Amino acid sequence: MKTKLEKIKQDFLQSIKEVKDQKSLSDLEDKYFSRKGELSLILRQLKDLDMKTRQEVGKFANSLKNELKEVLEKTRKDLSREKTSDVVDPTLPGEKISTGALHPITIVRKEIEDFFATLGFMSIDGPELESDYYNFTALNVLAHHPARDMQDTFYIDSKDEDKQADLLMRTQTSNTQVRAMLKHGAPLRAIVPGRCFRCESTDARHEHTFYQLEGILIDENINLAHLKAVLEETGKFLYGPNTKLRTRPKYFPFVEPGLNGEFSCFLCQGKGCRVCKNSGWLEVLGCGLIHPNVLRAGGIDPEKYSGFAFGFGLDRLVMLKYDINDIRNFHSGDLRFLKQF
Amino acid sequence: MYISYNLLKTFTKIPKTLSTEELASLLNLHTVEVEKVIDLKDQFKNIVVAEVIEVKAHPNADRLSLVKVNDGKLDLDIVCGASNVEPKQKIALALPGAILANGLEIKETEIRGVKSSGMICSEDELGLGEEQEGILVLDKKAKKGQSLSEHLNLDDIIFEIDNKSLSHRADLWGHYGLARDLSAILKSQLKPYNEFIEEINNEEGEAFKVKVAKEDLCPRYLAWKVENITVKDSPLWLKNKLLAAGYRPINNIVDASNYVMIESGQPLHTFSAENIEKIEVRLAKKGESIKTIDEKDRALSEDDLLITSGKDVLAIAGIMGGLDSAVNTDTKSIIIESANFDAVSIRKSSQSLNLRTEASARFEKSIDPELAPLALKRFATILKELCPEAKFISQASDVVNYLNEKVNKIELDYSWLCNRIGKTIEKEEVISILKHLGFTIEVNEDKLLITIPSWRAVKDVKIKEDILEEVARVYGYNNIESSLPELKLKPLTANYELKLEREIKNFLSQSANFYEDYNYAFVDEKQLLKMGIETSSYLRLANPSSQNYNLLRQSLAPNLIQSIILNQNNFKDLAFFETGKVFLPIEGSYDREGKKEKLPLQEKKIGLTIAGYSDSFSKAKGVVEVLIKSILGKNQQVDFTILENKLSWFDQDWSVNIKLENENLGYIAKVNKEVADKLGIKLETVFSEIDFSKLLDIYKNIPGVKYQEVSKFPAVERDLAFVVDKKISYNKLYKTISNFSPLIAKAELFDVYSGDKLDSNLKSLAFHVSYQSFEKTLSTQEVDHIQDKLIKYLADNFSAQLRDF
Repeated sequence: MKTKLEKIKQDFLQSIKEVKDQKSLSDLEDKYFSRKGELSLILRQLKDLDMKTRQEVGKFANSLKNELKEVLEKTRKDLSREKTSDVVDPTLPGEKISTGALHPITIVRKEIEDFFATLGFMSIDGPELESDYYNFTALNVLAHHPARDMQDTFYIDSKDEDKQADLLMRTQTSNTQVRAMLKHGAPLRAIVPGRCFRCESTDARHEHTFYQLEGILIDENINLAHLKAVLEETGKFLYGPNTKLRTRPKYFPFVEPGLNGEFSCFLCQGKGCRVCKNSGWLEVLGCGLIHPNVLRAGGIDPEKYSGFAFGFGLDRLVMLKYDINDIRNFHSGDLRFLKQF
Repeated sequence: MYISYNLLKTFTKIPKTLSTEELASLLNLHTVEVEKVIDLKDQFKNIVVAEVIEVKAHPNADRLSLVKVNDGKLDLDIVCGASNVEPKQKIALALPGAILANGLEIKETEIRGVKSSGMICSEDELGLGEEQEGILVLDKKAKKGQSLSEHLNLDDIIFEIDNKSLSHRADLWGHYGLARDLSAILKSQLKPYNEFIEEINNEEGEAFKVKVAKEDLCPRYLAWKVENITVKDSPLWLKNKLLAAGYRPINNIVDASNYVMIESGQPLHTFSAENIEKIEVRLAKKGESIKTIDEKDRALSEDDLLITSGKDVLAIAGIMGGLDSAVNTDTKSIIIESANFDAVSIRKSSQSLNLRTEASARFEKSIDPELAPLALKRFATILKELCPEAKFISQASDVVNYLNEKVNKIELDYSWLCNRIGKTIEKEEVISILKHLGFTIEVNEDKLLITIPSWRAVKDVKIKEDILEEVARVYGYNNIESSLPELKLKPLTANYELKLEREIKNFLSQSANFYEDYNYAFVDEKQLLKMGIETSSYLRLANPSSQNYNLLRQSLAPNLIQSIILNQNNFKDLAFFETGKVFLPIEGSYDREGKKEKLPLQEKKIGLTIAGYSDSFSKAKGVVEVLIKSILGKNQQVDFTILENKLSWFDQDWSVNIKLENENLGYIAKVNKEVADKLGIKLETVFSEIDFSKLLDIYKNIPGVKYQEVSKFPAVERDLAFVVDKKISYNKLYKTISNFSPLIAKAELFDVYSGDKLDSNLKSLAFHVSYQSFEKTLSTQEVDHIQDKLIKYLADNFSAQLRDF
């Protein structure tokens, strides 16, 4: 019986080699595995054997049957693969899961807020429509300072009790400095990210609506070395551990002294390139020690406390990060822009 | 402002080892912003002296001519647009490769079919002056082929300074002041300005009469009459100094006064003295006017300060002189004015006249009144050299209307100074820096008593922090080592507003797949009118930068809807959101300091807009519901209720309030057809606005989600469809069913039908209703019992009929 089975196996393996299509394969399948097929016939004869042999041969026959079936299935698969119409392409794109996106300014703002939170700065908000007092007077901007010109500041078409144009769109997030001092007192650590407005016509580099991120730190014995250190850490956070800070004099009425801050260019490491316009430095911030008049306006004694303030051009940071060269993209509402972040 | 290296060197020693780039960098790091370093030789590369041979009309253009020139070697054909070009003129010819002051690179080119091998330049194109009309005609004796810089004898380096970087320092508006700062940086000696002055001691004649009627606006006025002068071209040395600093030479008198201004920062004016007996400084009278030297008639206002002869208006004080009294070639005697005017008054007049000049730019920075006599003497010294025959009449008249004995002193502690800088700078170093800048210091142990020089006392140095700035910037901000402050730990208080805003933005962008949009705070009034919005209550900009953005938004809708219009041709479905403030003409919470009223209300809103989806309204409701639940808790019940006060642009049917308990958080509305057509919206557009502050109030106080125990017993689910009048809202029916019995665990709508099989005023709402108890498995009888009661209740209260399906 075993020899018969071996013979069937040999015959089957021989025949299957000659199979060239599905039709002859299924003929072969019928020949061996159908109810009247060769294997079935022989298996039916098992019942005539004695118990012991029956168990032994039965086991053998079954494993042989499985083995041959496996060969049959493999051949079937191989045959179907050869037919091009059945070839699959696993590299096709997956199911389309739609996503939205945050505005790039939101993304960068969050990163910086989180960074300053690690240094104990709270993030606060102030009014965008502001009074002349908090936007200018409280910040030591004198009555006839050019910044107050109509050509620089959007004024609201209304007059106050004294017939003065008192309401305006804030020109800087610094409007929140004195408000924060009055509300929280000293010591104080806060940042103010927000939108600001200047009356100017728009082009690739200028927008009447733009974003700043202001920061103030007030405590006892705060000095220039402290200011530099906090900004240096910010530079390293933004542009990597090798980032350097360079400061130069710059006049802002609400700080004394006032400084301009530049970080070494992240792209060329200070050698000069397209991004930094060959200067090696990125001009991104203004800063200084808070003017005693501003501290006083905030109800803080400048003899007891000192502090520093800094302001980043938030949109400038975003433009640098994503290599955006036209500031008008930010308010364009163009989905082709917004989709990319 | 252009600063000449040569001129700086006459006032202070600059080490030869210091390159001009290094010098520029020192100025940048310590004093002012140098925008560019220009080698005058490079400026005129490939620009040569050439002679005009002949001038013919251009064959194809009326306004152009065809000019043959000789550059010493070759005859070249040049197409030229100027009308003043004539044979035999010596001109400045820019050859291919030359780069003009405005950045234009000259190339061989074809203009209207004729080849042009270069360009004949105007003064303006060369950066030598402002004259744009016509070409610059050079001296007849100029040598053909010579480079222009050689011809002009320009051997200088120019530092272009950003004027904005010295707006607070009137003393830096001349070379001498900048040299003073440089001497402090370089620790070199500054030559006293007196060394450049030769006293003219003349008592002959009578001092010129000056009367100042408006003393507060004119702290000082000096006038000196000089006779027997000859107005002619300036000598080359003077012309070159002017050209280097960017001034166009005019004649010896005007040039000398401009030159003294370049040196000292003090603007001078010279009048032709014929017909002037005296000077009177007064405010303009109503209706007065003047023709200024730029030949423009200017109407004056009563706030403008004038220089008059008693009868005639001679000049607008500190801004521009009059044409009639201008020095011309016939002038034989002059009056030199060296005066000081009030900065604010000059600034206001200059603005209202829309006339900004080199003089007004300086006066509005607050010039030291002590500078006026020095500058006048310096002018006299130069004039004496230019016109040796000039006769000075007596001494200058000098009207002084300020307290010049006022001494400005500041006292500070040396230890305070070091403490605030964060570095110990040697006391000797501090004193040396201040002395170089002109301060005088008395030292008394830790105390420094500092006297401010007059040129710094006018405006920018008043308090000890100003002294700190002087020391720190000259010492070098970059020489101060940074050190992080050691502060007391203080945990940040919970910032709910920030947290909530972030959660909203994250949900909308990452879960609901909306794109965040940033729009202006301003809206277009025309768009609002198209939307039927009444704009009279809107806050308005007094000076909008464009008429498209003249009102302050009261809703995020108009601009977000605009984003749909902008993108509708590129995308088939759109979903945007924005968070931002709207501005309302009612009092808000921010104070205005010193004013009774508060600032207008500025409310933060969340706006969503969806367009182009198969059912955008339904999508909007879904997003809003899940947004609120994701923020406030999954157990929150968000209801959409019929909205009573529909805005003009709302669809009559498709608009709802968003309610949480009884709080109205906002609305969802479809833009109606009429408005959509007017605005050109092609996609079905739905907008929703949610009040951020209301959401924040709830968010702050929400107890948080608590886990609900799950029943161990199975739920029995029955499907029930009710036919009701169309006027009965889903919301009402749903609430009734789900609150009907504690054993009804859940009711969920799964089908809405209205159509042929029902009367036209009816609709069918089908619910899956789950019955479940926490105590036992409900029997069929128990469920039937509740269900029967429910059906009866709905029949009684809503005339709801059970529908078979």
